[in-house]
Amino acid sequence: MTERFTEATGTALIGGTEERASRSLRALSLPVALIGAVLALAPLWLGDSRVQMGVAVIGLTFACYAIGFNLIFGSTGQLFLCVGALAGLGGYGGAILADTVGLPIIVSIVVATLVASLVGGLLSWIAVRRSLGVIFTGIITLIFALAFENLLLGLGGVSGGESGFPISSGADSFLRRQIPPYYVMLGLMLVFLLAHGLLRRSHVGWAFRALRDDEVAAELAGVDVARYRVYAALIGAAMLGMAGATYAFTEGRISPTTFGFAQVDVVVLVMLAFGGIGTLFGPILGAITFTALDEVLIELGQLRVLVYGILVIVLFLWIPRGVIPTLQGLLRRRRAS
Amino acid sequence: MMLEVSGLAAGYQGADVIRDVDFHVDSGEAVMIIGSNGAGKTTLFRSVLGLLAPSSGAVRFEGSDIVGMPAQRIARLGVSFVPAERHLFPRMTVQENLALGAYPDRPDTETMTLVMDLFPRLAERRRQHAGTMSGGEQQMLAMGRALMAKPRLLVLDEPTTGLAPKLAAEAYQALRVLRGRGLTVLVAEQQVPLAMAFSDRGYVLENGMIELEGTSEALSMNPEVRRSYLGVT
Amino acid sequence: MIASVLDGIVLGLQFGLLAAGLTLVYGLGGVLNLAYGQMAVISAMATLFAINAEVPILPAVGIGLAVGVVLGLIFDQTILRPIYRLQGEARVLLSLLLTLGVAFIVDGYLTWRYPTEGLTLRIGGGPIEILGVPMRRGSIVASAITLVALGALFAFFRGTTLGRAVRSVIEDEEGARLVGIDPQRMLRIILALSGLLAALVAVTQSMVRPVTVSAGFGITVFALIVTVVGGLGSVTGAMLAGIILGIVSSIAASSIGTFLSLIILLGAAAVTILIRPSGLLGVRE
Repeated sequence: MTERFTEATGTALIGGTEERASRSLRALSLPVALIGAVLALAPLWLGDSRVQMGVAVIGLTFACYAIGFNLIFGSTGQLFLCVGALAGLGGYGGAILADTVGLPIIVSIVVATLVASLVGGLLSWIAVRRSLGVIFTGIITLIFALAFENLLLGLGGVSGGESGFPISSGADSFLRRQIPPYYVMLGLMLVFLLAHGLLRRSHVGWAFRALRDDEVAAELAGVDVARYRVYAALIGAAMLGMAGATYAFTEGRISPTTFGFAQVDVVVLVMLAFGGIGTLFGPILGAITFTALDEVLIELGQLRVLVYGILVIVLFLWIPRGVIPTLQGLLRRRRAS
Repeated sequence: MMLEVSGLAAGYQGADVIRDVDFHVDSGEAVMIIGSNGAGKTTLFRSVLGLLAPSSGAVRFEGSDIVGMPAQRIARLGVSFVPAERHLFPRMTVQENLALGAYPDRPDTETMTLVMDLFPRLAERRRQHAGTMSGGEQQMLAMGRALMAKPRLLVLDEPTTGLAPKLAAEAYQALRVLRGRGLTVLVAEQQVPLAMAFSDRGYVLENGMIELEGTSEALSMNPEVRRSYLGVT
Repeated sequence: MIASVLDGIVLGLQFGLLAAGLTLVYGLGGVLNLAYGQMAVISAMATLFAINAEVPILPAVGIGLAVGVVLGLIFDQTILRPIYRLQGEARVLLSLLLTLGVAFIVDGYLTWRYPTEGLTLRIGGGPIEILGVPMRRGSIVASAITLVALGALFAFFRGTTLGRAVRSVIEDEEGARLVGIDPQRMLRIILALSGLLAALVAVTQSMVRPVTVSAGFGITVFALIVTVVGGLGSVTGAMLAGIILGIVSSIAASSIGTFLSLIILLGAAAVTILIRPSGLLGVRE
């Protein structure tokens, strides 16, 4: 209780957000650095296989997606079923800007990220303005996701249609080699993690938690629910777009299925639900677990979809809050007794 | 005893709104439950009639245990409930609303005629959609629908709320006619004088407990009752 | 142009009947069944297997329809049990997630086991001319069956006690309980009905084009779009929206291609949600 009060009035009492931020930064740095260090070692035994490194890169990309989705859904309760589409805006946007328009890769990634961020913010703003509940927000974002996928398929001239878009920009650069993409995506993920962590500890994070727990009470306490929802969407969508764009340049070829609903959204949802919606490290846990699981199940082919279906049901029936919060609950109970 | 309630306690989210409530209704009687707003009258009726699970207590109707039974089963035992919010079917016509009152049977013409005679306004509006009718007409429709099931006990929760005095009097006039035909009535009321003139016995419910009981006559002479509910200083 | 409109009406009738099943379950039980398309596919496969086992067409179709009904009942007894314990928004969300899981289980299994199968019911005989346009006999038969089914639905809901009882639960659940109607039992009946409708649409659709094992999610998306535009909980709305969207889709597909015409349908659903969330004739918000 006091912690929240201090966080909220932090600026006034402790004298500036900088000091708060630097204290939080120190507390956060340790676990993030640890995760970074551990994951940085992975290429030591995976590095020889191009396929396995590819899978690892995908795993990190999904971790980034999960962090972005966590920010939108976990922090402010907006069910965005267009994670893949927002990442796709980044991916296809970056690819088109670099190859077709001829912009440098970095610029392409930045612009594509901005586009994804604005679209995410727009969707959130619309949902807020029309007071769409969780269900209708989900349906509207699902509609956007399906429309985007069909747009990619329909405008073959621009997007390459069903066969995909081979990206020639950066083909000779370090981005396409075996090991560097891993560190690029790892770096991105760690930055996202830090950003999310800092956000949580700031007054913005407090506002997020307040409005997720009880919207009406938050409004009464002076939290502009609409504004914070849109903020979360802007930042989360930016993460999705940036991850999608960066991934596209490391992969070299993207197609509508790279960013499809069944391929991205469902997986990210399962990852986050497993790890713990709203927690800081839940997305990482979920991403690692399910990337590994997917590799184990690779022989099953189409049957993998069946396994995912079973997992969704088991997860939402028995561990709805996710592994991390459930474990925290168990530990708390043991400490109390 | 037709309806016997003993030791009833019920509430929402763990907190009991009514506690240790005992009352009974004998066949052919008219019994009222009076009390101020928030006293727990609605909670009481909902828990007796299967819309809310009681936390403890017993309810017997014509000798059988009905506590915990869901509302739709109780409705088929010969008890009809007219709730405060009426819960009509807004996009269905008066005719359809009434017909459904007799579910699962088809509506029989004798009962339909009775209802139309008691509430002539309904007869005029047979094909009107229930949602477009005025408050008073809706109240009559709710009562009519409850009667279509040919109940032996009719329970009403604040039937005169929002009704003009003339309509409120008409509602109670209809209830008198029905009593004459052998219907047993249990009514919760805020408009105490109307209920008192109509009932044989009554209970006073305050803060979730029965504070007083007695014949209507005795209650009408009770100084507490006179002060709190009859506005006599 | 007329050909497109007529094709659109054929398509639209199917849309309407399909959406009716989904919208009824939502309107009555507050449950969004995302495994609806898979129910249709399973029924189609049952019919296919029956035909492959030398069962004559009519009984084979009967088997498919029966499977649809049974699927609806199984849903009610199994996957929906935990969902019934919740209310309102939580209920819709959980139903969305759990039925999505079921959809993946069914889709994953069927596409793995029978990747190339599809049901096709060939209706013999030459084309029939309507308004000067030669229409395939299969389309005409499919539309005729759909019209009869829609008529039967209408008669059921307006003219029978059971039908009115179902409507009353959609109108006011507590009011229905007060007159002795059991909402759970009504929901069970409606789920069986929605399974039947899914099966019927699958079978009639196979007279026009093959219904493949992977068609499940596509069917669900179409049903969802039409349901949203027609209004959650309204069968008449679903019919109306179905025909309108069918015609729009048909005209669009012939001018700008299938992918982009789907975007138009999606756009229609989006616009409905933004401007008039209750849909054309909806009940629940």
